[in-house]
Amino acid sequence: MSQKQIDPTWAWQPYAPSADQPWNLRRVAHLYRRLGFGTDWETLNAGLSSTPEQLVNDLVFASPESDSFQSEMKAMSRALVATGNPRDLASAWLYRMINTTNQLQEKTTLFWHGHFATGAQKVQDAFMMQQQNELLRKHALGDFNEMVQDISKDPAMLLYLDSASNRKTHPNENYARELMELFCLGEGNYTEQDIRELAKCFTGWEVRNRRFRFNKYQFDTGSKSFLGTTGEMTGEQAVNHVLNQPTAPVFIAQKLMRFFVMDEPQATAELVAPLALQLRKDNFNVGNTLKTILGSNLFFSDLAIGMKVRSPVELVTTLMRSLNGTSSMDLLASGLHDLGHSIFFPPSVKGWDGGRTWINSSTLLGRANLIHRVLRSENTQFGGGTLAEYTDKHGLSSLTDVADRLIQQLFAVPISNDIRDEIVSSSSEQFSQREEQLRSLIHTFTSIPQFQLS
Amino acid sequence: MNLTRRKLIASSLASASMITIGSSSRSLPGFLLQAADSNAKSDESVLVVVQLSGGNDGLNTVVPFTEPVYYNQRPDLAIPKANVLSIDDSLGFHPVMQGFADLMEDDKLAVVQGVGYPNPNRSHFESMDIWHTCRRKSDVREEGWLGNVMTHQIQEGSTDIPGIHLGAEKQPLALASRSLRIASVKSLDQFKLPADSKTLSSVVAKGEGGGNGGLLDFVQSSTQAAIRTSEQLEEIRSGNTSAVTYPNSALAKKLETAAQLIDSPLATRVYYVTIDGFDTHAKQADAHASLLRQVSSSIKAFVDDITHRGHDRRVMVMCFSEFGRRLKENASDGTDHGAAAPMFFAGSRVKAGFHGKHPSLTDLQQGDLKHQFDFRQLYASVLEHWMKWPAADVLGGQFKPLDVFV
Repeated sequence: MSQKQIDPTWAWQPYAPSADQPWNLRRVAHLYRRLGFGTDWETLNAGLSSTPEQLVNDLVFASPESDSFQSEMKAMSRALVATGNPRDLASAWLYRMINTTNQLQEKTTLFWHGHFATGAQKVQDAFMMQQQNELLRKHALGDFNEMVQDISKDPAMLLYLDSASNRKTHPNENYARELMELFCLGEGNYTEQDIRELAKCFTGWEVRNRRFRFNKYQFDTGSKSFLGTTGEMTGEQAVNHVLNQPTAPVFIAQKLMRFFVMDEPQATAELVAPLALQLRKDNFNVGNTLKTILGSNLFFSDLAIGMKVRSPVELVTTLMRSLNGTSSMDLLASGLHDLGHSIFFPPSVKGWDGGRTWINSSTLLGRANLIHRVLRSENTQFGGGTLAEYTDKHGLSSLTDVADRLIQQLFAVPISNDIRDEIVSSSSEQFSQREEQLRSLIHTFTSIPQFQLS
Repeated sequence: MNLTRRKLIASSLASASMITIGSSSRSLPGFLLQAADSNAKSDESVLVVVQLSGGNDGLNTVVPFTEPVYYNQRPDLAIPKANVLSIDDSLGFHPVMQGFADLMEDDKLAVVQGVGYPNPNRSHFESMDIWHTCRRKSDVREEGWLGNVMTHQIQEGSTDIPGIHLGAEKQPLALASRSLRIASVKSLDQFKLPADSKTLSSVVAKGEGGGNGGLLDFVQSSTQAAIRTSEQLEEIRSGNTSAVTYPNSALAKKLETAAQLIDSPLATRVYYVTIDGFDTHAKQADAHASLLRQVSSSIKAFVDDITHRGHDRRVMVMCFSEFGRRLKENASDGTDHGAAAPMFFAGSRVKAGFHGKHPSLTDLQQGDLKHQFDFRQLYASVLEHWMKWPAADVLGGQFKPLDVFV
């Protein structure tokens, strides 16, 4: 079924289990993989005893972080910011993704990090990068209007886009362009003239001592004319005007759909129209629209399951969470860099294109090699112990049992018994010790093409 | 430091070719043409694309040092006339580009001026996509100009790696193909198969589970290509080091690897590398100088290396950026996105010198330089004259190729 044939009304209506679209472990696993970073066997099974609507509702609205977890994260951030090295922030964030109970908030924060991409290689300040990360988290599931107003004054963002100074005589166009092109409207929905005029609205917006400052002497108080409006606008009013454009909710809905539902084909304006309408009527509340998306017919259909390429972050975090794993976060973070997903260091202000661009010969070998290193690291444990102990605890005595469990938990596309048996026999033939056999089994399963799909 | 150069006359736009007066094009001694020491499998031409990402400021690269407008629009950033490495009476290179100056002196560099396209787009991503696919956003853009053409050229069942992208960044769209998989290699040393490769190869060869809307097929064929590439590169991994000393930069390392691969049994004909950082909105002077130095010295070292290895008659470097930058400098000691800019071709078989006139600094389009050559004309030159591949539909129209190769 091509996207042209998908009925936009059907697409976003709540999924109701039926004989040919049953509520089963496959769909529960799909939900946990997309809404967050996967989960373990017990949680997956527990999910089956809720209805899809209840489960989605709980995960979206009723999974807050505990106070003690939040304090722990605050302390961790403070310590890492003190080192001054932005690379350490990636390790802390990975820890949070793996351990937070509010999986959707964290997954959406990752989405916004790619959307409002800001690179530490240019900002070069751990404090500012962490502040931005907190800003994204604060507004992740909230009001997109507020997010944009705040990010427009975020010191890291302004520095990244060369807008730490913006003078009346020569307005800096960079933020004006990216605000419309990348953050709110999409390329082609404004003119070069609009960019020049909008840039005037941001004159006097500066960063001093890592904080936003409004320099009224540099602010152009004259009239500006862009996107169909003319007047003496402040920067805040200009941002509101951009967000009021009809294309804004469509653009955001398309991005949300791509990130949470399917990599391809590209979401058409027609298909996301109901979502865009909801965003507009709901004061741009992202959490409510995500609830619609994650509980929908389209989301739980075969048009979506297995139809995204796992990003490198999802690759490592899902593996860890599914098997109650812990490891060195630094090891994972440095591995991500090799796979093209260096969080806090996006390749450009456009973030990561994702989809097929995650996959090339170099990254494929990189994925296999990273998992190989993680499985062999002395810092890696599963359920607090070895793989052998972990599988014993779960009553998985044979390698085939383990293989079946991995397939159920980790794979979005079917794996034939033929493939399963080949991997099982190769692991048992090459190694005699159980721990080595299990490592080899997991390693091979995570190297095959099917594993790259979520 | 000035070069001594014979005069080059820029022809009219209509013929768009170069006339030289003075000595005729030099021919290489016969024994170099034999490439006696080369163990290369193929005698076919090779293209090395060097992409400058971010929008290279052409005006400070090829400097119009006799134009008053250049100096009064760029009071801080304009390159002082005394510092320019002049090539003729009115144009010269940025002072750090000794490598390009030397190549020009050796008749191994061609500068095509004022390259762009109608209705220029000033978004990095959109403009780069246009350069990569010859299509605008409204069209379907699944394949790149090189990916598309290579797909038609590669024979059924061939195990050759058609093209190699050297770098860690995501693979340029120019190489994308519906069926071909171009290898992305970060470094030869890191390109090793995972420990249990036999089982992986076997599982992948089964090719199960297709029909998943293409995504699984894509990952499967990519995995197969990765395994195959790794096996082929295994033989090249050791030895084969360069006699030429390359500068110490990421771009130089990539080009050095390309030279090693060209001088190997691989029949690969397209290599693609990128260097990022040209988006100089603020404090341009030092950043741009550093980048130009890298580009100039790396390409010079590469051409020297290729010549030393005996492949210079069949290797061509093409260097471009997604747009130039605005004539008037901004208030942050930088420049903003522009339009037309120069392209460079380096190698023994270029028609050295300038092609076309320098774009006018007074007859502008929204403050930017107007283009005189469509980039697709240069693609046509590369595909038809250099690679001997029919351009067919990939350009999206008829574009008269420029005469830039010998």
